[in-house]
Amino acid sequence: MKRLAQAIDAFQDHLGQSLAWLTAAMVAATVVVVVLRYGFGVGAIALQESVLYMNALVFLAGAAWTFKENRHVRVDIFYSKLSQDAQIKIDLFGHLLLLLPMCVVVFVWSFDWALASWRIGERSPEVGGIPAVFLLKTVILVMPVLLALQILSECIKLIAALKREDHGRD
Amino acid sequence: MKTTGVIELIPLFMFAAVFAALLLGYPVAATLAGVSLVFALGGSALGVFDLSDLGFLSGRLFGIATNQTLLAVPLFVFMGVMLEKTRIAERLLDCLSGLMSGARGGLAIAVILVGMLMSASTGIVGATVVTLGLIALPTMLSAGYDSRTATGTIAATGTLGQIIPPSIVLVLLGDVLSNAYQQAQLEQGIFAPNTVSVGDLFAGALIPGLALVGLYLGFILLTAWTKPERLEKTTEKIRERPSVKELTLGLAPPLLLIVAVLGAILGGYSTPTEAAGVGALGAVLLAFAYKRLNTSTLRETSRETLKTTAMVFFILIGASIFSLVFRAYGGDELVRGVFEDMPGGEVGALIIVMLVLFLLGFILDFIEITFVVVPIVGPVLLAMGFDPVWLGIMIAINLQTSFLTPPFGFSLFYLRGVTPRSVVTPDIYRGAVPFIGLQILMLLLLAVFPSLATWLPYALRG
Repeated sequence: MKRLAQAIDAFQDHLGQSLAWLTAAMVAATVVVVVLRYGFGVGAIALQESVLYMNALVFLAGAAWTFKENRHVRVDIFYSKLSQDAQIKIDLFGHLLLLLPMCVVVFVWSFDWALASWRIGERSPEVGGIPAVFLLKTVILVMPVLLALQILSECIKLIAALKREDHGRD
Repeated sequence: MKTTGVIELIPLFMFAAVFAALLLGYPVAATLAGVSLVFALGGSALGVFDLSDLGFLSGRLFGIATNQTLLAVPLFVFMGVMLEKTRIAERLLDCLSGLMSGARGGLAIAVILVGMLMSASTGIVGATVVTLGLIALPTMLSAGYDSRTATGTIAATGTLGQIIPPSIVLVLLGDVLSNAYQQAQLEQGIFAPNTVSVGDLFAGALIPGLALVGLYLGFILLTAWTKPERLEKTTEKIRERPSVKELTLGLAPPLLLIVAVLGAILGGYSTPTEAAGVGALGAVLLAFAYKRLNTSTLRETSRETLKTTAMVFFILIGASIFSLVFRAYGGDELVRGVFEDMPGGEVGALIIVMLVLFLLGFILDFIEITFVVVPIVGPVLLAMGFDPVWLGIMIAINLQTSFLTPPFGFSLFYLRGVTPRSVVTPDIYRGAVPFIGLQILMLLLLAVFPSLATWLPYALRG
């Protein structure tokens, strides 16, 4: 089990770092769009849309890694004063009863919608835009899958930590 | 009470349940979404919620993913993190305190000015407070400042980041207000609605933001005159006065960057997203010029940008699931009904909203309030005829005040975290009090003279 958690974490780390480079790429692409438009009067719609696609990848696929890094904002005025034991229990509760249902609902309620987009090969509504809106819609499905994977890893780690605590108390 | 009455009150229970669950301390975004979905699924089991309403979910998520305005967020974050890595703040503070030392209150004035410039470039409360707390507080204390004045100045200066453009929270608020404004007008039967943009909000924030800086500076000068014992013990120079060259090299590049980014947006030359992209490149070039650019800086910056961006957007996703369920249960009508029956009419409604936001500011930060609460109350207030830019700036300054108010203010928490133990917490609290007074003064000024916020954006539109 521990191995599985480590493998998931390692995978998310790799993915997170790769996705992180996209933020630098977004900066570069935006600058090129600006130079083309204001310098040469050329509109680069596809490039402009690519920034949108990269951003979607960054926040949808990056949400799970952000969980692993514990960087999602908490209201911690009480949480920070609780015992480690209580914090672990709150996290377990949240992972399984708040985050997991969210993943399931987002996945189930978006699946047919994304599939429909694939079926018609949905293109950008803009002339000269990226002819693959179905990819963008698919990324919305990727978010719950990656999150569910991270929930599994987090729960393994939390339960192990809980056992260790109980053990230490005997 | 009849059953229908109870069902109409469900949104209220849902809001209370979400709020209670948030206090547990599980990440905000997932709490918002999870509790709302429990209400949706539970309601469906009881036959009072139509699950097909959740079908709007994918459209909402897609709307977030294709939002052009919000693209400015990762780019501004990238710019801010990169500037932080170049240690521009340290350089600026060193430079300005050198320039000002010798005058009583000089250090505090340097801190306020550096905070203003830093805020304009990063726009993240925690970052400014922590940086100033770490680099300026020890200097101020050893120069003889009493701990209240020193901590109060730093805590207040750190909150400027929200109001001084280009600020990330104004981008978020601008996006939410523009939707709320459209909705308010459509409901009134105006089908060619006026719009409000992030640029309008930036323009609207400029004068009030600078006025706040002016009030802070005025307070320090007043202290220097009436209670000089609270400031520097000696007026001996702690550092050589910097040469003109040093000063230019330290001050000019970040100042130019901010002016260029802001000018491009306010002048209507470019969208906030484009300006943010170019600003981010500017920050990279600055880092290069200061010889701080290498692979690890770039990697660290991109990682931080990803995490902050994912955090912000994840709250937006959670909040949009919350508002989807809240609306499906008729929460909008409930809120509107409450406001219509409110004594004191429009002004009464505004005061109540401001008080609620102020109290919520103790628990939630700017992003969450913007995404969860403003979409609920915004359309109602805007339908009453309040100006969207003015309302946005009032909300921003109100929340800024909330973050400065003991015992729960975020800014005070962050500062406590980096302050030596010799400074007791009550001193930090008392130090904030005069600045809270200045904030309230600013709110009153804005209430009496709305044109402080509205003049510039409308003048720029022509």
